Amino acid sequence: MVVVRRRWFQTPWEFKESFFFTSVAVIAGFFIQFAAAGSGIAIPHLPFNAIALSLLAIIVLSTGLAFRNTPAVKWLGGIPLGLCLIVAIAFLSLIGGVVPQQAVAKSSLPAMLGLNQIFSSWPFAVTVLLFLANLGISLSWKLVPFKLQNLQFILFHAGFWIALSCAIVGSGDLQRLVVPINVGKANNLGYTMDSDTPQQVPFSIFLHDFSLEEYPPQLLLYDPHNDKLLMNKSQAIMEVHKGTTATWQGIEVLVLDYLPYALPGKDGIPQPSARATGIPFAKVRINTSSTQREAWISTGSPLLKPDAAQLDGFYLIMVPGTPKSFRSAVTVQDEKGHETMANLEVNHPVSFMGWKLYQMGYDEKAGRWSKLSLIEVIHDPWLPAVYLGFFMIMAGNILFFWNGIKRKEAVK
Amino acid sequence: MIMNFNTAAELAIVCWTIGSLLSLLASRTPALKLPAFLLSIAGSLVMAGFIVFYWSALDRPPLRTLGETRLWYAALIPLVGFLVEYRWKIGWLKYYCMALATFFLSINMLHPEVFDKTLMPALQSPWFVPHVVVYLVGYVLLAASSVTALHNVYLQLRKKGNKTGESVSHFLALLGFVFLSFGLIFGALWAKEAWGHYWTWDPKETWAFLSWLAYLGYLHAFRYKIDQSKLQWYLALAFVVLLVCWFGVNYLPSAQNSVHTYTQS
Repeated sequence: MVVVRRRWFQTPWEFKESFFFTSVAVIAGFFIQFAAAGSGIAIPHLPFNAIALSLLAIIVLSTGLAFRNTPAVKWLGGIPLGLCLIVAIAFLSLIGGVVPQQAVAKSSLPAMLGLNQIFSSWPFAVTVLLFLANLGISLSWKLVPFKLQNLQFILFHAGFWIALSCAIVGSGDLQRLVVPINVGKANNLGYTMDSDTPQQVPFSIFLHDFSLEEYPPQLLLYDPHNDKLLMNKSQAIMEVHKGTTATWQGIEVLVLDYLPYALPGKDGIPQPSARATGIPFAKVRINTSSTQREAWISTGSPLLKPDAAQLDGFYLIMVPGTPKSFRSAVTVQDEKGHETMANLEVNHPVSFMGWKLYQMGYDEKAGRWSKLSLIEVIHDPWLPAVYLGFFMIMAGNILFFWNGIKRKEAVK
Repeated sequence: MIMNFNTAAELAIVCWTIGSLLSLLASRTPALKLPAFLLSIAGSLVMAGFIVFYWSALDRPPLRTLGETRLWYAALIPLVGFLVEYRWKIGWLKYYCMALATFFLSINMLHPEVFDKTLMPALQSPWFVPHVVVYLVGYVLLAASSVTALHNVYLQLRKKGNKTGESVSHFLALLGFVFLSFGLIFGALWAKEAWGHYWTWDPKETWAFLSWLAYLGYLHAFRYKIDQSKLQWYLALAFVVLLVCWFGVNYLPSAQNSVHTYTQS
């Protein structure tokens, strides 16, 4: 390898200049952030963000093509600057990956520098803008003249450009609102995460019913002296079914009977009841070294206190299972008369007139008896563009995988 | 349940140990080559069999806790070692891989997990298995790449040239990067369905993005014809970022509200 000593800023520029330039950009970004007293960037709405992004794309691509032999542009679209910008983005992401991204006192230094909202801060914006320029210029060289062998490069880099730019610019148009609704009522007001003022959504949601299904309840041994739950011998979470056995030191428990929905009868013995009101009851036989006895235990509900079995200073308790699924039966309706009935469930959102509706939460204190459902409604007009970018990256990756294998064959 | 795991893990470790010993002896007695290979691969098959059994016993894919992911690494990592031997005739990597798998199983034996069948609603998605499995394969390849790079660094320090080793670490990193990219995008597509948005800078997402950038940087440095032997250091260390992403995130101040923290049980 020939080592040529190159002075600072002697063309062609390489890593030294790229590193210097990138550092200046990041530091300048922090200065702007500080001067703006920590307020992040407000992304404009449609159509202004789309116009700005198109202009950026045109400027970057035409600069790359018109000045492809100019040393400055060659450097601007080259790998050394690209690598330094990747490092800069990684550095800023590292801040975002370590410093909790949440509201802090406005006058504190982290807030003034935007460290607590790094991904909408000026240094991040400046770096990403330069990165888009670098990526776009390198892309322009591979686009014109088009060659089939550049397809992998084009798909991956163009996909990344589109996904990154549209995700950032599109965040200006992203609307995320949580609409709380009670059973038997309709609502068209939603709340954002950081404001208590409700906003109107262009449709109303009527909640017919909210239902929650739980995993079977669990058997636990509670030690009141140490306020501790004791693990049984098999280290397994004991789900209560008829026939379940659990063993703690010196204590053996067998579930003789299990009623998923029951209410206490007149003689104190639980009787099966309707799903809406009943709670889980289990009849257990407890064997200790000296005694054997049987008892009914229950999980309790907002209206009924739980029944536990006392033994040797411990309590055998039954706690409700964790939620398995929860769903809301809703009717969505807008002013123009469009109407949809749907069952909303986690992982099964429903689309309505360009919006997506998600089952988000419920009144967790009431659990299975919740009469409140939280529906998140989201409008993201830029989503198709971001997904286009994702699919281009994946297509490029498949080619990369394939070419990687083939190139190795050639080396061999 | 735990009994079964210990039996399976011990059986697998015995297979790998005897397989490795026979394989070392095979340089003198070539007839031992086949039994050595069969025993080594039997270790992974035992673990694969246990995963299948565990999956059906749990009624959900065993991918929810850190301990469960270690089962998959233990089954998959040795396979990468065998693949590299088959493809590049490099024999030593498989020993590292089997040792690493033994290490993962030992952690699980020392810290038995709570056996819990429940799966929260957000994880009940067709994306769950592809997202995690693609990542597992990516991590396994990058772990192997890192081990290879470390070995290359060691050879360099002893002034031994090693072009094949360098191309192996590069190729494993390239494959790993492809899997990381798929894992990242699958995760984004799933997040849109489950949590409403494809990217929210959740700490785990941020670290996954960071590890992706680390390998993206490597590939560009490689492309720019930076001295391959220097890049071995980079590859050896890049895996540290992945380790933070895999389980270190759980301990960072930023991760308190993450949707990705593995159940600590």
